[in-house]
Amino acid sequence: MNSLKLNKILILTLISILLVSAFGCTQEPENKVIRMSTTTSVNDSGLMAYLQPEFEKASGYTLEITSAGTGAAIEKARMGDADILLVHSKTAEEEFIGEGFNEERLPFMYNFFVIVGPADDPAGVAGSATAAEAFQKIADSGSTFISRGDNSGTNNKENAIWKSIELDPVGQTWYESVGQGMGQTLTIADEKQAYTLSDKATFLAHEDSLAMHLEETDDMKNTYSTIIVSSARFAESNVAGAQAFVDWLKTEQARKMIAEFGVAEYGEPLFFNNK
Amino acid sequence: MELINSVLNLLFGTDPELRQIISITLQMSFFSTLFSSLIGIPAGVLVGANEFRGKAVLSRIINTLLGLPPVVAGLLVLLLLSRSGPLGNFRLLYTVEAMVIAQVLLITPFITAMTANLVGVNATAINETLVGVGIRGTKRLKYFLLDFRVPFISIILAGFGRSIAEVGAVQMVGGNVQYKTRVMTTAIMMQTNMGRFDFAIALGLILLLISLVVNTVANQIQKAAQGD
Amino acid sequence: MIELKDILVKAKDRLILDVPSLRFEKGKRYGIIGENGSGKTTLLRVLMGTVQPSQGSVGFQTKNDNIGYLPQSPYVFSFSVKRNVSMVLEDSQSRGRLARDVLKKVGLENLADSRGNRLSGGERQRLGLARVLAVPKEVLLLDEPTSATDIRGTDIVEALLQEWFEKTKGLLIFTTHAPAQALRMADEVIFLEEGKVVETGSPQTLFNQPQEPQTQAFLSHWII
Repeated sequence: MNSLKLNKILILTLISILLVSAFGCTQEPENKVIRMSTTTSVNDSGLMAYLQPEFEKASGYTLEITSAGTGAAIEKARMGDADILLVHSKTAEEEFIGEGFNEERLPFMYNFFVIVGPADDPAGVAGSATAAEAFQKIADSGSTFISRGDNSGTNNKENAIWKSIELDPVGQTWYESVGQGMGQTLTIADEKQAYTLSDKATFLAHEDSLAMHLEETDDMKNTYSTIIVSSARFAESNVAGAQAFVDWLKTEQARKMIAEFGVAEYGEPLFFNNK
Repeated sequence: MELINSVLNLLFGTDPELRQIISITLQMSFFSTLFSSLIGIPAGVLVGANEFRGKAVLSRIINTLLGLPPVVAGLLVLLLLSRSGPLGNFRLLYTVEAMVIAQVLLITPFITAMTANLVGVNATAINETLVGVGIRGTKRLKYFLLDFRVPFISIILAGFGRSIAEVGAVQMVGGNVQYKTRVMTTAIMMQTNMGRFDFAIALGLILLLISLVVNTVANQIQKAAQGD
Repeated sequence: MIELKDILVKAKDRLILDVPSLRFEKGKRYGIIGENGSGKTTLLRVLMGTVQPSQGSVGFQTKNDNIGYLPQSPYVFSFSVKRNVSMVLEDSQSRGRLARDVLKKVGLENLADSRGNRLSGGERQRLGLARVLAVPKEVLLLDEPTSATDIRGTDIVEALLQEWFEKTKGLLIFTTHAPAQALRMADEVIFLEEGKVVETGSPQTLFNQPQEPQTQAFLSHWII
C-alpha cells in the first residue's frame, strides 16, 4: 500500500488506542491504592518488600511505595502526594504533626543505630557505655567521622548525640558531611577508613571493610512511626486505606513477620516491635 | 510566597557555604576545561586537518567516547582511584582532583570532536593553500590554530558549560563532601533530596546565571573578532 | 623541466585525467584552456603533487621550495591581510615591510591591516598571488588566477605575472576559463577536454588554424 494510506491507518490506530485507554480507565468506586512515602533506609532494608505482599493479600489494598531522604519523604506528604508516612525521625515528625497534617501517629517498631569504623578502631570506640562517650573519643582522637548531613533520621540522631556532649563538629578537619544516603555514606567511610553512624540493616547489607564497634546503647535507639495524613488538608487522602495498614501492623501476623525479618540472613532480627 | 523570599535571601545574602560551593565549582571547572582543551584542541586539529589511514576508525572512537555516559566515566575513575584500585595509593578519591580527572575524560572527546568537525570543513582548502606556499607537515598546525582561534573560544566555553553542569561523575568521585568537594550541581541534588526546594532553586538560579555570563562573554568575543 | 608520463587519474569509475605525455619547459608560459570539469585543476594538482595519479609519473627538475601553487579559491586566514602574506616570509624585522611591498604590487596595500575574511573574491585571489610571489619561485602554477577579479584586478595580475616572467625567466603554467587570457599571456596553449589533451600549440596557431574539430568547436564560442 502507498504511504498515504499507511499514514491514515496509523493515525486511526493511534486514535483508537487513545480512546480505549481513556474510557478503559474508569475510576474505582473505592480507592484501593495506598500511597506510602518512606525513607531510603527503610526501603533499602528490604522490610517493605517483605511485608507488602502479605498486607496486600490480607487487605485487598495495593501499596504504592516511594522512598526518599527523610526530608523529601515528609515533604511529599506535605504536598498531598502520600496517604501514609513511614519514617523514623521524631523531630521532623513532630514538626509535621504540629503543622496539622496528620490524623494519627503510631510508633510501631524500633531498632538501634550502630557506630562503625575502621577494623582496628583507632579511637577505641568499642566498649563505650554510650554513643555519646564514643563520639567524644572520636573527637578527642581526631579520627575522621563521616556524617550523612542530609537531615535524615540517622543524621538527626547523630546531631542529638553531638549535642549531648556539647560538641559542634561542623568545620573540624576530621568531620566530613556528605549530604547523601546511608549506603553512599558507608562507601565513603570505607574509602577513607573513617567512623560513621549507621542503621544496622543497611550496614549489614553493605559490602565494605568497616567493623561494627558499638551497638544497642540507649542513646542510639531509633523509633519508626507511621503517620496517617489528614483528610482535613487533602480531601482525596486515602485515610481508610492508611488506617487499614496501621491496623494490620498491630496484628499477630505482622508482628511475627517483623520480629523474624533478617534472622535467617544475619542471625538476628533487624527490627523490634514496640510493646 | 515564602519560597521566593528564601530564594532571594540566599541569592543576595553572603552565606559563606554558598561562596565555598561556587568557589569549588569554578576551580574544578577551570581545570577540567583547561586540561580538556590542551589535549582536545590540538588532537582535534590533527584529526580534522589530515587524511591518514585509520582516520575513519579514530573518528568513530572519538564519537563513541562522546557518548560516554557521565556515570560510566565516574565509575571508571572510581574504580581506578579507590583504595583497592590500581591508583589507590594516591588517595585521590573524593577530592577535587578526582572530579577533574573524571570530567577531563568526558569533556576531551567533546572538544576534540567539535574541533575536528570545525577544522575539517575547510581543511582541504587550507591544506592546498599552505602546500602551495611551501608550508607543510607540522608547520601547518600553527596556522590552523591561529585561524580558528575565535571559534575555539566558543568550543572551550561550551566545554566549560558542560563542566559546571555535570553531576553524575562528580557526585560519584567527589562525594559531595561539605566544604571540600561539594559543587553546585551536587548541592542542588542534595537539597532536593532533602526536600529543601528553596535552597535548590536558589542554587539553580545561580548556576543559570553563571551560564548566562559565560555565554554573553563568548558572544562578545565573537562580535569583537568580527567587528574590526 | 616538468615531464608527465602516462598519467591517469581516476575517481570511482570516472576518468578525470588521461595524459600519456606532456612536457613543460622552463622559460615558457603555458595556458591551459577547457570547459569546467575538463581536468584543468586536476592537472595542476598532479603537477603540484596534491593529487596522486592512479598511475604514471611526474618528473621534476626543480626543488619543491621553488614551486608556487595558487588554488582557484585561495584560503584567506582570519588574521590581517598583511599577516596573510608575511606568514610565508622568514621571521625578521622587515617581514611586515616586505609584505606591504608585495601587497602594493597587487594593489591591496590599502587593505593591509584589514582582516582577511572581509575581502571580496577578487581581492582574495590577488592576496593569494601576493602570498605566492612573496618568496622567489622558479615555477608558478596558477589555477584560474583572475576568475573572480574585475577588469582592473585582472590587468594588475597579468602585468605582475609578465613582470615576474621577464625577471626570472621561470616556468609559468596557468589555467584559464577565458581563452583570450591564454592568447594574451601564453607562449603555448593546451586545450583539455574530458581529461584528455586534445591539442597544443602557440596561441596564434590554435586560434587561427586549429587542427582538431573539438578545438574549433570550443573556440568558436568565444569572440576573440
